[in-house]
Amino acid sequence: MKIVGVAACTVGIAHTYIAQEKLENAAKKAGYEIIVETQGTIGTENELTREQIANADIVILAIDVKISGRERFEGKRIIQVSTDVAVKSPNKLIEKAKEIVESNNESK
Amino acid sequence: MEVKDIVDVKTVKTDMNVMNKKQALKALAELLYQNDYITEVEGFMKDIYVREAEGQTGIGSYIAIPHGKSSFVKRIGVAIGINQTEIPWESLDGKGVKGIILFAVGNDNEGARTHLKMLSLFARKLGNDEVVATLLAAKNPAEVANAFA
Repeated sequence: MKIVGVAACTVGIAHTYIAQEKLENAAKKAGYEIIVETQGTIGTENELTREQIANADIVILAIDVKISGRERFEGKRIIQVSTDVAVKSPNKLIEKAKEIVESNNESK
Repeated sequence: MEVKDIVDVKTVKTDMNVMNKKQALKALAELLYQNDYITEVEGFMKDIYVREAEGQTGIGSYIAIPHGKSSFVKRIGVAIGINQTEIPWESLDGKGVKGIILFAVGNDNEGARTHLKMLSLFARKLGNDEVVATLLAAKNPAEVANAFA
């Protein structure tokens, strides 16, 4: 499974990056590929490419604020949560992503 | 500049012994003031409380990351306190905290890009369980800095 994500919190200093780290570790532990873009005080980093988004099975948005470039994910399966959820329960979130992708594949 | 350079051993206190959040923030803000990171303790704390009011800054695993942007910040930095006992704090896992990392960031960050980048990498490390375990077990400021190496 391939996951792309965006993390963005209100101040853009701390939670954004902690959420990124937690999501990456949880996905890797479960054996999935993940790329997480961050939108913080410093600006956008690790910006997702069109190709990465196209190839992703699911999008995880761990965001507390409006993000720029949301339209890039139009037509994709999206899970949106707060950064708190990504920081608190990253493994559960990845598990949920897997369930959504699998149930969607079965119904095809 | 490396990530661990964000940690200034002069603004780390591993033998902190406070009873609550207010005392912890005050002790850490004073360290920032004494070492020329902020221009005023009171005003800075007010700005920190703005973020505290918005949501939990306890991220679980006994760690809290109070932060906020403040015009009282002269230069980007962090103050770290490892408290002897767990103190009450609004946290994601409902537990108290022992390790408090107070972030100091100004409103205007022109020219501070390198520091801001290092700070984001520093924050990222707080999402790593091993780093957090090493941090909480640190006995002196040098060990705290090494947790982020």
